[in-house]
Amino acid sequence: MKTYIAQRLGIAVLTLFGMSVVIFVLLRLAPGDIVDVLFSAAGYVNPSEKQAILKELGLDKPYWQQYLDWMSQILVGDLGKSYRYDLPAWQIIKPLVPVTIELAILATIISVLLGVPTGVVSAVRQDSTLDYALRVFSLAGLSMPSFWLGMVIILSLVSWLAWIPPLTYVRPTENLWLHTVQFMLPALAVGYRSSALIMRITRSAMLEVLREDYIRTAWAKGQRRRAVVWRHALKNAVLPVVTVIGIEFAFLIGGLVVTETVFNLPGVARFLVEAILWRDYPVVQNLVMFIAIVVIISNLVVDLLYGVLDPRVRYGS
Amino acid sequence: MRPRTLTFTLLALGLTSALLVSAAPVVGQSPKSGGVLTVAQREDTPQGFAIHESSTVSTTWPAMPCFSNLVIFHPLKQQESVDTVIGELAEKWSWQDNYRNLVFFLRKGVKWHDGQPFTSKDVKYTFDMLREAPDAAAKLRINPRKDWYTNVQNIETPDPHTVVFHLKRPQPSLLLMLASGYTPVYAAHVPPAQYRTACVGTGPYKLKEWRKGEFVEYVKNPDYFVKGRPYLDGIRYVIIKERGTRVAALQAGQVEVAFPGDTSKVTAEQLKKAVPQLVVTRAAENVNENVIMNTKKPPFDNPKVRLAVAHAIDRRALVQAVHQGGAAIGVSMPSRPWGVWGVLEKDMTALPGYGKPADEKAKAKKLMAEVGYGPDKPVKVEIVTRAIAVYVDMASFIINELKQIGIDATLKQIETAQWHAMATRGEYQIGANLTGIGIDDPDANYYENFACGSPRNYPFYCNEEVSALFDKQSAEIDPKKRLAIVVDIQKKLEEEAARPTLTWRIDNFTHWPQVKGLIPHNNFYNYGRMQEVWLDK
Repeated sequence: MKTYIAQRLGIAVLTLFGMSVVIFVLLRLAPGDIVDVLFSAAGYVNPSEKQAILKELGLDKPYWQQYLDWMSQILVGDLGKSYRYDLPAWQIIKPLVPVTIELAILATIISVLLGVPTGVVSAVRQDSTLDYALRVFSLAGLSMPSFWLGMVIILSLVSWLAWIPPLTYVRPTENLWLHTVQFMLPALAVGYRSSALIMRITRSAMLEVLREDYIRTAWAKGQRRRAVVWRHALKNAVLPVVTVIGIEFAFLIGGLVVTETVFNLPGVARFLVEAILWRDYPVVQNLVMFIAIVVIISNLVVDLLYGVLDPRVRYGS
Repeated sequence: MRPRTLTFTLLALGLTSALLVSAAPVVGQSPKSGGVLTVAQREDTPQGFAIHESSTVSTTWPAMPCFSNLVIFHPLKQQESVDTVIGELAEKWSWQDNYRNLVFFLRKGVKWHDGQPFTSKDVKYTFDMLREAPDAAAKLRINPRKDWYTNVQNIETPDPHTVVFHLKRPQPSLLLMLASGYTPVYAAHVPPAQYRTACVGTGPYKLKEWRKGEFVEYVKNPDYFVKGRPYLDGIRYVIIKERGTRVAALQAGQVEVAFPGDTSKVTAEQLKKAVPQLVVTRAAENVNENVIMNTKKPPFDNPKVRLAVAHAIDRRALVQAVHQGGAAIGVSMPSRPWGVWGVLEKDMTALPGYGKPADEKAKAKKLMAEVGYGPDKPVKVEIVTRAIAVYVDMASFIINELKQIGIDATLKQIETAQWHAMATRGEYQIGANLTGIGIDDPDANYYENFACGSPRNYPFYCNEEVSALFDKQSAEIDPKKRLAIVVDIQKKLEEEAARPTLTWRIDNFTHWPQVKGLIPHNNFYNYGRMQEVWLDK
């Protein structure tokens, strides 16, 4: 196990290195830079002033040197300075992380609580009215983008109740109730979409397992329905479901752009888009690296969970 | 101070704080103190509080409460003009030497938010920096309004409470430029770069916190120099990027004031239907939609093609189709009631594009035929615009209009980061553009957008004769004579299709009824000070 984890961490370092190169190059390939954006807010461009600012920000250096500067900064825990805010990038990024992590965890919990039971019921009651209803429910979830659902929720609330959740981020330490209210609606909007995917995967995995010999044997032995379905069948069908949950969680860390925007939550994804539009390289680069690290960790956790959930899985050297 | 004639010692005497204090905010109601106002903000303030490095209402709107100007437009009067300019840091002022010297007598006892005293040094520091004087103590990273001060020869500070602006030639409009929301006085002891992250002003509110991407929060400045102001205990600008969410926030009462320029006619109607007590005021933004045609690139290097474009676009149809009636037609200066300099609508009919649509199209086709093009033999061009809905809607309308006269335009959307760089370099043929002007005055518009060599003269239009008229009107002291020259300029610019104006945008500024003393001006860059605003609750 230790060897496996060490190997995975080694691969993770390589992956992060690859990611750093890709994001660095892609950002420089995108037309325009922070100075163009700054001048855009001023309504004109002055080449000599532009050159001075590029120099001030170190953007006049060759690309390879800019990359090495970034890497050497990261190695000593310095994320550089946000071009836009003129503040250390870490100071900008730090408050965003808990917002997105919390939203992603809440959405994942909702999606699992909604998706797994409905997937199991749908499989057990295959081709029944309930199965069809649940499949329609899940198909609707897959078809509706979460941002659209989010906007519908907001507009419905304001139209019917003349109320919407707080639009300024409320920290849990400030007001736990308002904080929960603020997060529940976006988590529901995002969780519903993810639950639809989990439901469909659970259903198909369960259908496959329910046809296995050992399930037939369990029925033949007269085991209770609950034991057969939830203990024998679900435990063996859960591996692909866990994989999907891991992928969905990783996606949510960087993929909540519009949901965060609609519900006005100051999270990573919304800020990442802003930073890209501003060509704020230090913030973009480090946010992307953060997302990559979360994806790598969640994938590793999923892989390790395989061994816990399925005794046949062994991690050898 | 050198000797000067006093023939033109005009105006301004006595336009003091008394004006502000005595201005009755709302007839029949006594202002109440207290409460925190919540205001919508469409994006994080792009340059922090560094108003001098920015040209967007997204900066002036949330930054203005921190600052003071020498003079300001009366906050309770919607139509800005020289007659509505009142003192702010200047107690009074005086034009001398036939409008060649502008003397400001400053208030005494004014303190910066950090406790330092405000003096004439701060004024000289600010305006030397803005005009990039050789001996300026500081330099701005970006200086978008340097052109406003090219006529300032030097600035003298005979004593801590007197400042003299010496001008190269008479320029009455300088006073209006100084009254703009774009013209706060910076503290000489604070580096200009610091304003990008913090704010030290002399304004009615002190910055409490700027939580990036979330809100900007102010508290009342207890040392504010106008007694009894401000009324509010604080202001919170809530940053809401998504427009639909901003509207919902206003409807639900989470914000009490909309962002200026954010409420279209249709949105305002929907809001009024949902919440009848909301207060909606129509006000000009001083932002126009215009067509930029690159005079250095074919086919628009041909004046006939440019003129054909000017004839072809039906402005009134654009107002109806794209703005559902929520915009005004006008040429290069906004017309009454939205501005004071524009050609009257009845006089526009003789100008290209303002006559009967069928006649205008026929004239456009004739011009195109003269250069060998027509609907059967169209010339292909690329029309550029910013990748923002309001720009794209306008561009789509223009494409349809041009198609009818033999110009086959394909749309190319340009990301905001690239737009001004592309336009300044002239890397386009024709474009659909929006232009905001800091004050309703020809000087602010013409030198910036039409003068030979100006970086924001994107079409590279240059007519020495018209440029001479820019100077002539700028130096004219008699308002009536100046207006006559300005009208002449407007006609010439339209006849040469220098940069055809299509519409002037109208905002439906919306707020909750408890918000009092917040009067939108016909220029959304200038009414964000908030010192007269109070809450009736």
